[in-house]
Amino acid sequence: MIEMNHVSFAYGGEGPSVQDLSFRIEKGEFTAILGANGAGKTTTVRLMDGLLKPTAGKVLIDGADTAVSPVSQRARRVGYLFQNPDRQICKNTVREEILFGLRTVRGDEGEEALQKRAEETLRDFSFTGEEEPFSLSRGQRQRVALASILAVEPEVLILDEPTTGLDYRECCHIMDRIRRMNEEKQVTVIMVCHDMEIVLDYARRALVMAGGKLLADGGVPEIFRDRELMERSSILPPQMIGLSLRLGAGFEQADSPESMADAVISKMAGGKAK
Amino acid sequence: MIRIQDVSFTYKDEKHPALKEISLEVPEGGFLGIIGPAGAGKTTLARAIGGIVPHHYPGDFYGRITVNGMDTVDSPLTEISRAVGTVFQDVESQIISPVVEDELLYGLENFGVTREEIPERMDFALEKVGIPELKERSIASLSGGQRQKVAIASVIALKPRVLLLDEPTGELDPRSSRQIFTLLKSLNEDLGITVIVIEQKIMLLCEFAKQLAVMSEGKIFRQGETREVLTHAEELEALGVNCPRVTTFSRLLAARTGRELPVCVRLEEAENLARGLMK
Repeated sequence: MIEMNHVSFAYGGEGPSVQDLSFRIEKGEFTAILGANGAGKTTTVRLMDGLLKPTAGKVLIDGADTAVSPVSQRARRVGYLFQNPDRQICKNTVREEILFGLRTVRGDEGEEALQKRAEETLRDFSFTGEEEPFSLSRGQRQRVALASILAVEPEVLILDEPTTGLDYRECCHIMDRIRRMNEEKQVTVIMVCHDMEIVLDYARRALVMAGGKLLADGGVPEIFRDRELMERSSILPPQMIGLSLRLGAGFEQADSPESMADAVISKMAGGKAK
Repeated sequence: MIRIQDVSFTYKDEKHPALKEISLEVPEGGFLGIIGPAGAGKTTLARAIGGIVPHHYPGDFYGRITVNGMDTVDSPLTEISRAVGTVFQDVESQIISPVVEDELLYGLENFGVTREEIPERMDFALEKVGIPELKERSIASLSGGQRQKVAIASVIALKPRVLLLDEPTGELDPRSSRQIFTLLKSLNEDLGITVIVIEQKIMLLCEFAKQLAVMSEGKIFRQGETREVLTHAEELEALGVNCPRVTTFSRLLAARTGRELPVCVRLEEAENLARGLMK
């Protein structure tokens, strides 16, 4: 569980980037953090990972204060996928990249166990291990970065714009994989994402930020249906929710092309929308 | 007019061609969106239109590209870049000055614009992009969206006839992304600038682009008017290119009602379609 208690943070010489944030994220949740550029989303997830220390308030990961808990302890629990995989990848082969994270975080398990974990991860992600990360496409590099994080089996996965620069197929591949981890292994997922269609498809809870403050916290469809909130936070809802809002009563449950088509057809037949 | 005739290109030291027999025409004042999965050759095609391939990235180039009659292989890169303004995927790699006005000045001076004309061009570009108040701001203090606009302004100031953008909204939020596309539309319609955009945000692209070119494995898989290309949604999805959800919605409605219905590209169209059917 991650708990933010009245957390504020200011980068040196500037006003506060985030102010008085308080919320809890329970184990196994899939939460998206939404907001315009500059809303404080990345700062918030960096605080949640302990990459930044709050200038006021406390961040607790399973009760341990990030301001004092050792990095090695946090790294086992929390995996952080950067927006740009090139900021993360540092080895010349995919196998070495995966082993690098394992040796750093789980070195106490012994080399044989780590090699076994690395081979399982390579198989799981369909890598041979010999690929050179920097000769792969952006999407494949993002998969390398994700594989090296998941090999460590973190309890919490923080994703900062995981689908930027990826094509649709790569995006689904990465997100389906993350959903599996969330559903099968109860890995807590916290995701910063600008693609509202992805948020609607994958996340269950949304935190909305603007100007460094938390504006709203709720279920994803409910958040997107709040017109006033969307306006205040400069978010455009996903297309089907936008359409259901335009069509009004009877379309509240229609949030995919399929359910929207069903709803329209049922109205054509004179019945109520499903 | 941009004319691409049977263009193939293989990067030096690479075995496989990045572009294979590409033929495409973009009319003067066109607004072309290029889509396709990763590795389809989109960025290479953009580089070829801007002359960066093969001038900067050497390799085996076959075929011919002309921009307003100028051959991109035979003409010097400086001449091509006067006609084609390029905004790269990674804006950080494009901006080199610490202050906004210096960034615009850099290009203008390099293009030999006279001292008298520079202030006028600078103000025009900043005004057109909607950031006149940022003129004296440091680049470091700007958001991602503002930097993107600075990069576009610095290209607009050079008055190119063609504007080429490679994923210009990659790191922008939905509202800022829409602002960038609205700006491109205004440059296209008000100034007659030909716009070519590579973009993964398919819903946005389809709403603004007049024509689409779908690339796959170095080839043009399909090209045409945006709405016409989207009538082949199943083929596009098989390639790994998604369609706007309103397009999927209109397709599903047509299939399930057995009626011939228009392909929707915009939200308003989907609303009108739904309301019309429910009357």
